[in-house]
Amino acid sequence: MKILVADDSRVMRQIVIRTLRQAGYDDHDIVEAEDGADALAKVGSEKPDLVLSDWNMPNMTGIECLQALRASGSAVPFGFVTSEGSPEMREKAANAGALFLIAKPFTADTFTEHLDGVIA
Amino acid sequence: MTTIDSGERRRAVDARPLITELIDAPTVESIAGEAWIALVGEDEVLIPIPGDLPVDPLSAWVDVVGPWTGSVVLTTGRRTAAELTRALLGPAAPAELEDEDVADAFGEIANVVGGNVKAALPGPSGLSLPDVGDAPAVRNPADLCRIDVLWRGQPVAISVQGALPALPLTH
Repeated sequence: MKILVADDSRVMRQIVIRTLRQAGYDDHDIVEAEDGADALAKVGSEKPDLVLSDWNMPNMTGIECLQALRASGSAVPFGFVTSEGSPEMREKAANAGALFLIAKPFTADTFTEHLDGVIA
Repeated sequence: MTTIDSGERRRAVDARPLITELIDAPTVESIAGEAWIALVGEDEVLIPIPGDLPVDPLSAWVDVVGPWTGSVVLTTGRRTAAELTRALLGPAAPAELEDEDVADAFGEIANVVGGNVKAALPGPSGLSLPDVGDAPAVRNPADLCRIDVLWRGQPVAISVQGALPALPLTH
């Protein structure tokens, strides 16, 4: 299985990847994207099985990336990992087709809770 | 019925809340404490004791724009910011940290603390991308909620500060 991790912070991408390992998802291929536009391009070129994306990023935000993916017919499973977890954003994410929204700060348990069932 | 426009209603609508009416220091402390434990490490506690910031500090902040508009600013010594960066990167930390590593890591902590402060405020609000450098000026001392803590014995200040009044334009 291939997971695309999109975040404009390199440090946060590393923390997300480390947390995936801590949560037991350590035998998957990881691809990184540094903003929403990069993630959109890499969904096309890398064909990931899951996208974990930040919301607030330069060039293209996570929600714009998700909307562009769905508009282009992509049904790739997509979840947010973001510092903002307000009810409005959760609703907006769900309406756009996101499977879940993990609010930062998170733990390995938070990842397990949301990813079990999504990651085989 | 005749109504007299005393201007009171308009003033009430125009009045923007001060941060002290919206959030208190224990809430900011709790948000920061959770961020530190999740990002920096489970044993990395913040001790609510004020310390003297060094003369050449570094700040990281995000702006919140909404019913309350201002910045969530983290300030500490440059050496402490570098130590935080190493803690966040863990084994992936390079032997020599670049300035952009520190800006990325310290900015991301500000982003997580700021995002959670934003969630505790009335919305809807927008959140900016993090910025790192010299702290934005405190515009109104009454529109300020600040906590001072120690991390590994080093002072860290977290300030939730209003952006009004606007700074005068420089010519």
